[in-house]
Amino acid sequence: MHSSMESQTPLFESNSRVGMYEEELKRFNWTLIILELMIFGVGIWNLHSATTVDDKSLGLYRSQIIWFTIGLSITALSLLLHYSILSRVAYFVYFANILLLVAVLVLGKSSLGARRWIGFGGFRIQPSEFMKISMVICLAKYFETDRTVGGYGLKDLILPSMLVAVPALLIMMQPDLGTAMIILLTYGSMMMFIKIRPQTLLILGLIAATAMPIMYKYGLKPYQRQRIVSFIDPLSDPKGSGYNSIQSMIAVGSGQIVGKGYKQGTQSQLNFLPEHHTDFIFSVFSEEHGFVGCVILLILYLVFLSNALSISYQSNDKFGLLLSLGITTIFFWHVFVNMGMVMGLLPIVGVPLPFMSYGGSALITATAGVAILTNIANKKFMF
Amino acid sequence: MAFLGQEEQLREFQDRFKFLYAALFIGLGILLVRLVDLQVLRGDRMRQFSEENRIKRVKIASPRGMIFDRNRKLLIDNHPAFDLEVIPQYLRESKRTDSVIRMISELLKMPESDLRRTLEKARGQPSFIPVKVKTDLTRDEVAVIESWKIAMPGVQIAEEIKRTNIYGDIGAHLLGYIGEVNSVELPLLNKTGQNQYKLGDSVGKFGLEQRMENTLRGADGEKLVEVDALGRTKLDKRAGRMLDGLPEKTPVPGKNIVLSIDQDLQQAAVEAFGEKVGSLVAIDPRNGEILAMVSRPSFDPTAFSRGIPAELWGKLLSNESKPLGDKTIQDHYPPGSTFKVVTAIAGLEEGVIDENTRVHCSGKIAMGNRSYHCHNKKGHGDVNVVSALTQSCDIFFYRVAQRLKSVNDIAKWATHMGLGRRTGVNLAREVPGLIPTEEWKLKRFKQPWNAGETLSVAIGQSYVLVTALQLANLYASIGNGGTLYQPHMLRSIESTDGQVEQEISGEVADRADLSPKTRDLIMQGLWGVVNAPGGTAASQRLPGMDFVGKTGTVQVIRIAEDKIYQKCDGMKFRDRHHGVFAGFAPAKNPVIAIAVIAEHACSGSRGAAPIARAVVKKYLEKYFPDIYGEKAIAARLKAQNGAPTSLAESPEEINLDTYGDELPVVGPAEVTDGTAPPKNSNEPADTRKQEDH
Repeated sequence: MHSSMESQTPLFESNSRVGMYEEELKRFNWTLIILELMIFGVGIWNLHSATTVDDKSLGLYRSQIIWFTIGLSITALSLLLHYSILSRVAYFVYFANILLLVAVLVLGKSSLGARRWIGFGGFRIQPSEFMKISMVICLAKYFETDRTVGGYGLKDLILPSMLVAVPALLIMMQPDLGTAMIILLTYGSMMMFIKIRPQTLLILGLIAATAMPIMYKYGLKPYQRQRIVSFIDPLSDPKGSGYNSIQSMIAVGSGQIVGKGYKQGTQSQLNFLPEHHTDFIFSVFSEEHGFVGCVILLILYLVFLSNALSISYQSNDKFGLLLSLGITTIFFWHVFVNMGMVMGLLPIVGVPLPFMSYGGSALITATAGVAILTNIANKKFMF
Repeated sequence: MAFLGQEEQLREFQDRFKFLYAALFIGLGILLVRLVDLQVLRGDRMRQFSEENRIKRVKIASPRGMIFDRNRKLLIDNHPAFDLEVIPQYLRESKRTDSVIRMISELLKMPESDLRRTLEKARGQPSFIPVKVKTDLTRDEVAVIESWKIAMPGVQIAEEIKRTNIYGDIGAHLLGYIGEVNSVELPLLNKTGQNQYKLGDSVGKFGLEQRMENTLRGADGEKLVEVDALGRTKLDKRAGRMLDGLPEKTPVPGKNIVLSIDQDLQQAAVEAFGEKVGSLVAIDPRNGEILAMVSRPSFDPTAFSRGIPAELWGKLLSNESKPLGDKTIQDHYPPGSTFKVVTAIAGLEEGVIDENTRVHCSGKIAMGNRSYHCHNKKGHGDVNVVSALTQSCDIFFYRVAQRLKSVNDIAKWATHMGLGRRTGVNLAREVPGLIPTEEWKLKRFKQPWNAGETLSVAIGQSYVLVTALQLANLYASIGNGGTLYQPHMLRSIESTDGQVEQEISGEVADRADLSPKTRDLIMQGLWGVVNAPGGTAASQRLPGMDFVGKTGTVQVIRIAEDKIYQKCDGMKFRDRHHGVFAGFAPAKNPVIAIAVIAEHACSGSRGAAPIARAVVKKYLEKYFPDIYGEKAIAARLKAQNGAPTSLAESPEEINLDTYGDELPVVGPAEVTDGTAPPKNSNEPADTRKQEDH
């Protein structure tokens, strides 16, 4: 693959440019990778505490380290390539991922009543995680060549909406409401960014307003509806579906200013928190490290996200800008939805917190996101 | 539509980044505000919630006091019981609900549907709370479950203390049972009782368990444990440290109770009852201690101590013989002829008759336009008070009634001797019985007393009602010369380590000062009933034991005049007469007084007396082996040259000469072949076959 592409664009650095390598290393933008390492450091430390609980999660932090190592290796390798290769393989990646999503529905492994994984040798992967990035690449590619000005109308949105709707529906069928929601939010954010005509926005708003109750009634599974009900009124069923939300809020709040101390979080250590090593990892952290710890973590995410935004801002091609913007948006929504859910601001949907939650596919996706962003940050002058 | 170059479009895009930064700050700002809200503003409350989550107050049950009989034989104990529990949450998480249920059903040989129904019922409660699916596993069942436990997630065995009545249904009404406090009882208990209760606590519900609740129940302790979300206790050191300084309460055990009841007598009584329905009370006439108290049929309270199975409850409720009721105190009966002693006492003490009063019995007398019959159709001929008691001649007592000023004279003596009022025994729902007076009838029926009714009262019919306990106490007081004790069954209250904390002695409730002559005459009459050939219970004689008493046969339904003498055995069970017997032993200075009511047993002599006899025999042999042991009796009888009675041995106490010639002392040979009939020639030769009244 490499050899065939080498002739066309300098996707692959040639030996003659070794001198430039040193130069480049000197002014290489490490910021995002450093932030990634910092957040992951906090994450793995916290996960170590969360997985000392004597249940199915015991010792899972070790696997998390392995996944992260794999993710870093991929990052290192990807830096040898130029991100514009993604523009060429965008549709291929997209369709491959769609096929994986179909495969999940057909032969996926089920857990907690949902089919989200497919086995690959000894481990299993969650294609819906990769789909977020695949979709962003695909959208960036689509809009790269699009020259519409003065905002998009309804007709212009049909094709890109289809591109998003297909994977979103496939993911909802698993069902994985959280990931589907992230995909839709990311798409919505990107479309807002590239500008939609005001009247179109109005129509879309009306459609959404009418579609939502219908979706609620026919598109959601009973347990998903229950989650929304218990989000609006958690005390309606405190031992049932409202339980997770209440226990999570208690965990966060009981951390108070400085927290209960490392491995001293009673809510998580005594199993009152559901899924405390994955979706509810932030409640473990906030219970044990309190407001001080949470503010530090929030600042880390803020620096990370604003840095990612500035990479997008500084990119000098439309594909790079849209791609980095999409990836940044994915990160933002993950942080916002996850923390909002843990703190009872949003209904409970399964969305992992980047670099903090346990999960191989999510972690690989996140490191891949950082790899692409770093690539864009460093390859912008190189064509 | 214009087409822009990349450069322009990029610049336009870059202009929009200020919105993105704003969105980023707003988004994370919202999260920050929520953090402040939860952790800073509401942190204290949330911390409190999390503490409530993890710290569970665990009750340390205080052992309930044990109950012993008078010889410290353990009657009620606390035994460990094993229950099978299922934690629905574990079962669900393991996704093996079906296989686990199938497995339990196979191992314990119980239908799957039962298990499912139990689990279904528990749906309303949080799924981490264990559900009891089977109680009282046997040791074998525990072993088989333990060995398969690894394959059954969410299945566990819980140990609980179970109240056990060691002798099953013997004395169930007396000892009673415990049950869980329900929501109706709770406020009442916490208002009146000295203990505080919670739903699900055990409380005495019947019998002594109920009456002695405050003594038997200790105070539960409390322990704080750290639990996880599934309610599992954390045992590691860390948990202990986290709980340091939190208050705990040590349990105070309940007190033990020693009864005056003798379990051997209880057993003898139950054996003597066999399938018969009724009750027995035995009292020590010297102090009012209850020695035996049984009500038949009965039930096994052990089955009640941890929730009464609905099926069993239904069966007990629908049983016609009412096994749940205590027939010794909660039911009253007409005493029939056993009441004649009271009429005799009234007659003698009021001076309307004396030892020389003779009445001719021809089988019936007329009064007003009614005729009053004797149970003996042919009549008893000439009778005096002693032979009238011995042969249970109704006519004699009709005459006594006619001579008395009014029924109130009978009532006065009956009341003195404990009838018509509650004895105050330490058991719930005692009925007072009834001794009618003229005033009572006027008040109750707005009608004046009818002189004929006095006749019925004189033979223990009409409105007269007594309980078995009252009857036993009446004879105890006759036996001891007129002292009426308040019957009681508690001897002492002890701490768990056996220290006596309180001793209970008999209290005198009343005194009927009988003249020595009256006592002698009554004693002669009662002696004759059991020991003389013409006595209605002569077949129940206990050679060498001086067992005396009075039989009674009580009509259950009104019988037409022409059917009065119909054979009882031919009637429907529910229509048959009750058999009553009351007496004491020995005649001189009695140590046991007894009353037996055998429902629908047709006669006092054949239905009730044998039961009394068995218990009296057991008691005398057990406690006075030197006097009443087999060898001692045989030796004494031999020394007396075959004379059957101990009354002969103690002429200074009861002078046989004063009894007159109506009551000859006869040898056993004469009793069996009936060659020495009493002087009243119209007495049938074989009196034992006769229906007694």
